[in-house]
Amino acid sequence: MTARLDRVPPTPPEETRRRPADPPHRRQAWRSRLYRWDVKGSPYLYILPFFGLFAVFGLFPLVYTAVISTTSWSPRKPGSEDVSVGLDNYTKLLSDDSFHNALINTFGIGIISTVPQLLLALGIAHLLNYKLRGRLFLRMGVLVPYITSVAAVALIFNQIFARDFGLLNWFLQPFMDNPLDWRAEKWASWLAVSAMVTWHWTGYNTLIYLAAMQTIPYELYESASIDGANKWQQFWHITIPSLRPTIIFTVIVSTIGALQLFAEPFLFDTTRNNNGGSERQFQTVVLYLYQQFWTNGRYGYAAAIAWTLFLITVVIALVNFLLVRRIRSADD
Amino acid sequence: MRKSGIVASLVGTALVLTACGGGSDSADPNGEVTLTINVFGDSFSLPDNRSLYDEYEKAHSGVKIVENRSDFGTHHQNLQARLTAGSGTADLEVIEVGQVSGYIGQPDKFVNFKEKDVDTGQWTESTVQRASTPDGGTLIGLPTDIGGLAMCYRTDLFAQAGLPTNRDEVSALWSTWDEYVALGDQFVAKAPGVKWFDAGGHLFTGVLGAEKETYYNAEGDLVVETNKAVKNAWDLTVRAIEDGQSAALPEFSPEWNTGFQQGQFATITCPAWMMGYIQGNAADTKGKWDIAKIPGGSGNWGGSYVTVPSQGKNQDAAVELAKWLTAPEQNIKLFKSIGNFPSQKSTWEQPEVADFASEFFSGAPAGKIFPESLENAPVQVYGPQSGVIGGTFSGALNSVEQGTDPDEAWESAMNDIKAAAGDG
Amino acid sequence: MAVTTAVSTTTAPAARRRRPPGEGRWGTYAILFGIIIFSIFPLYWSIVVSSRDQSAIGSYPPPLVPGGSLWDNLSKAFEQGNFGLALTNSVIVAGTITVAVVFTSTLAGFAFAKLTFRGRNGLFAAVVGTMLVPTQLAIIPLYIMITQWFGWANDLRGVIVPALVSAFGVFFMRQYLSSAMPTELLEAGRVDGASTLRIYWSVVLPVARPGAAVLGLLTFITYWNDLFWPLILLNTQNPTVQVAIANTASGIEVDYSLVLAGTVIATFPMLIVFLLLGRQIIGGIMQGAVKG
Repeated sequence: MTARLDRVPPTPPEETRRRPADPPHRRQAWRSRLYRWDVKGSPYLYILPFFGLFAVFGLFPLVYTAVISTTSWSPRKPGSEDVSVGLDNYTKLLSDDSFHNALINTFGIGIISTVPQLLLALGIAHLLNYKLRGRLFLRMGVLVPYITSVAAVALIFNQIFARDFGLLNWFLQPFMDNPLDWRAEKWASWLAVSAMVTWHWTGYNTLIYLAAMQTIPYELYESASIDGANKWQQFWHITIPSLRPTIIFTVIVSTIGALQLFAEPFLFDTTRNNNGGSERQFQTVVLYLYQQFWTNGRYGYAAAIAWTLFLITVVIALVNFLLVRRIRSADD
Repeated sequence: MRKSGIVASLVGTALVLTACGGGSDSADPNGEVTLTINVFGDSFSLPDNRSLYDEYEKAHSGVKIVENRSDFGTHHQNLQARLTAGSGTADLEVIEVGQVSGYIGQPDKFVNFKEKDVDTGQWTESTVQRASTPDGGTLIGLPTDIGGLAMCYRTDLFAQAGLPTNRDEVSALWSTWDEYVALGDQFVAKAPGVKWFDAGGHLFTGVLGAEKETYYNAEGDLVVETNKAVKNAWDLTVRAIEDGQSAALPEFSPEWNTGFQQGQFATITCPAWMMGYIQGNAADTKGKWDIAKIPGGSGNWGGSYVTVPSQGKNQDAAVELAKWLTAPEQNIKLFKSIGNFPSQKSTWEQPEVADFASEFFSGAPAGKIFPESLENAPVQVYGPQSGVIGGTFSGALNSVEQGTDPDEAWESAMNDIKAAAGDG
Repeated sequence: MAVTTAVSTTTAPAARRRRPPGEGRWGTYAILFGIIIFSIFPLYWSIVVSSRDQSAIGSYPPPLVPGGSLWDNLSKAFEQGNFGLALTNSVIVAGTITVAVVFTSTLAGFAFAKLTFRGRNGLFAAVVGTMLVPTQLAIIPLYIMITQWFGWANDLRGVIVPALVSAFGVFFMRQYLSSAMPTELLEAGRVDGASTLRIYWSVVLPVARPGAAVLGLLTFITYWNDLFWPLILLNTQNPTVQVAIANTASGIEVDYSLVLAGTVIATFPMLIVFLLLGRQIIGGIMQGAVKG
């Protein structure tokens, strides 16, 4: 699909028209060398800003954190930063039930919050693609959750999911004897947190899909419908394959986001001790990390959690990528 | 080229602007000193009233005071990060009483007030002990306001359940926590739909308030598992929960506020600042409250210490200010203007404090009740993770409230505590 | 496979120009309207609560209609939270970051999408890989670096500079350009002897504009709403808007009406950006479809 742009044309057309008035070979050689430099070297210049800044602000903290994870550093025990424990933190992590619990929570919440969300976003983007009245209002309207302030989100969802006087329980009253404590049961808390995540991020993904959908030429659809393809077939065979890079993108980004889920479970727990529920019902890995780091002051252990999560994310993102890639290519 | 020119100049301008916009110098070549103080609430000022600072500035020309407020969690988190990083703290930092135990393990990061000519006799021994290293050699902060502990109760709900409402009678009914829980059983039987107290965690903390050694012993060992006092407090609380006495509301959440407004519980452990809280959030319940003595006779919840981080550049000036802010005269002013209950013993004899009675709370003599709860408080032993352990217990009790088997909850709490406090 | 089968739309985009009004159309509007209501409700409720007094947030049944104190609470929150400065700071922070991110991401995204160079795939994988690092992880080292090496405690630069490039942005632009940028145009440019920069400028940028506008909008919103990092680096003297909101929540007794009034103040500029960039996107999107 990509052209071989680094193949230098043997002689640029205009050069052949110039005859011995200038020293053509030297100019030609200089120009083609410039071309080669441009074609071979300029890409590196274009990606340099990114890697340059990342090396300073991304790589250094990452490496430093790996170093911390081999110590038993706790700020409440001065001197502990110099105590090296090798890979002890990691072995402790392997047998840590709370960590396993956090992993399960993360995966569970991740799946229920990501899959429906992306499907929903795709559907909404499709609907918004039409020439509707009040397009701007509708398209920006779906993005409002993303611009709503964190503080407002926390307060409102806590009101909705409150046990005794919450809005949701008020609706469910006729169907239940006792009000449901959304934070007490694992499944309920997973649903609630997923609802928050879906609410927050669907508009975001919708906009991304919408932008990509707009790049699909009308002609493709017109010729397909002339050929007798119905609307569903058009969607499946034209829209989806054309959106392939975007779908890959959103799946990977959402997966990473799901594995790193923090804000919503953090806000859902009103007790401020970062436990993700009285028994860690909805404590995700990053929330566990946060608790170990800030509440318990176990910097070394938290760093080990962070690195372990990083490695897990690499594996999962890779698997995800290969899956989505393979499926799509069948329709290319 | 025009577009990239615009982009470049925008970025450039922004960087220049930010270079001018940030930062604060704390020393002026003219000998002027700007002291920064970080607070998490109304310790020394209200958002629209900084008269105490203005008074100090007038009396000390060349000193400017700049206050930064943040919310409770952020404030303490940032403080720890900045202490660890070695830069970024203010000249004075206020630390809440429940958090200060986390900092006594890092005494070198703070100025030691024991070396700064401070009369620690101004305060009760237990108050001073809380911010001191176990050996008593370092005092990292000076006490500002304090909570004390009493029991606030709803007179109307008591009357409905056939209980006495007079505060002295009520105080006599619960001179121990066991009696309090027994009374709770009576109440719940006669007042269906209303709970006895707001959260098990408060009962637990209250009971332990009378003990000298709770989670750590005087040698600094972690004794939470073996200490009978802790297990007894747990068992009592679990019993109360299983008898249906707890409304299971997390403190300071909007649901807790709703609990006040809807009268979901009849009693709540009440430090001095809780009065202002109830008045603000449940104004309609005026006159329906009263204050009785806390079971067990003593306790404390809340209050703060003002510390001077040792990374600061203006330590002497900051120490001066800290001493002034925590002097009895200033704290009477704070009591009158903001309502913070002073921790200095001499203020308790002053009429402004001693005669203070609250109309909202049926005229309860708050100015006498709270100092009493402080005077006899035992000097408790704290360790670096005391705050964390307290939080773990609250969470475990909350899970019992949600239906978990108490023994399981105890086991998992022990595991969490050992992991958090054991070896870092 | 699971990604698309569940979508049960019954109308195809092709019919969009000649679609008859009536059937199905109403369904579309109804669904979208319902979704908008869900999306906007929390913002609406923020306005309701911030137009009432302190006890409103705990009351039951919860208030659903605005009260009368909106202006009072807005002005109180504005003064207490130092919102004038906070809004300015947030504009500087989010604006600078957005410009830088869009600029660098389009450049790098183009390189990864359409140029061939040695190590391209490996480097791109590295870019995506950097997104796997959770931000909570780097707080202490980053804080030490920013405050001690650079001396930027309390300085907006400490918030801006670490965010100037975004792996997400590079990834996004690369995906966008690989489907939106027809290679034939690039080849045509090459044949005409144009340098890569010239091709980038005249051919790629116009095509990238809608995608860049979307990236710009999302980036701006992300950094406008960014809370955790500015919270640790800045203080009340130099806040961004979210830090200012968090600060109105200081104290043991929090007046939620003021806090939510703060969020209303913070959201207003976003709505303005919406209107500005929104038209850009709609307009750009309509033009962006490449025809033949």
